[in-house]
Amino acid sequence: MAKVTREMVERSGINVDQLVELLVKNAAAELTTYYYYTILRFNLIGLEGEGIKEIAETARIEDRNHFEAIVPRIYELDGKLPRNMNDFHDVSACPPAYLPDDPTDVREILKVLVEAERCAVRGYTQICNMTAGKDHRTYDLAQAILNEEIEHESWFSEFLGEGPSGHFLRRGETSPFVSKFLK
Amino acid sequence: MRKFTKVELGKYNGKNGIPIFVACQGKVYDVSRSFLWKKGKHQVLHKAGLDLTEDLKVAPHGAEMLEKFPVVGILEH
Repeated sequence: MAKVTREMVERSGINVDQLVELLVKNAAAELTTYYYYTILRFNLIGLEGEGIKEIAETARIEDRNHFEAIVPRIYELDGKLPRNMNDFHDVSACPPAYLPDDPTDVREILKVLVEAERCAVRGYTQICNMTAGKDHRTYDLAQAILNEEIEHESWFSEFLGEGPSGHFLRRGETSPFVSKFLK
Repeated sequence: MRKFTKVELGKYNGKNGIPIFVACQGKVYDVSRSFLWKKGKHQVLHKAGLDLTEDLKVAPHGAEMLEKFPVVGILEH
């Protein structure tokens, strides 16, 4: 625990216990999404699926990076992760991104992916709103993750035919916004 | 359609297996099957058995997220 760090956040008027609970829920969402995206990625096959596999893989790796980036902040603020993995899964801030009943339906897989990203965008927007101008470190972290979640959403949305994403895929390294928290 | 007072709505808080109801813009929704309303709490800040109309004005989503759940009544003012 970083004693003065927590104290500064408390003095800003933020309910730190609530913030930590939200961070734990979003950490759970990232790790469970990493797991579920692994299954989705393996099922993105065939002429339609192979074209999407690459971005599903990038989103999967970046979601794992988000988990790795959030956890230190939880402990700095005197929080901790649940001892039991089942409990961790069940407190996730987002519903499980299950493989659709028909795993050959690429469009249905894309809908699962885009809904998972939209849930994440909402979650980090909430944390940014809660911490803006108060808890600078958590805000910086949540904003970095939000930038990547927005790009994930736009990639999958584009494949669903909802309109241009306005983004190119990653060229080389993953997590261009969050990587500074991983060093 | 069943009519709820705020006191009646407050009983549906998800505790001890009780269904989870929330209200918005006069409608009462049953969100018991939602993964995001487990134990009668939603994203740490919101509790079941309440009128969430004001909360939704500053939430990162609108009332449309409730429309996928069954309407079980009307909230009386």
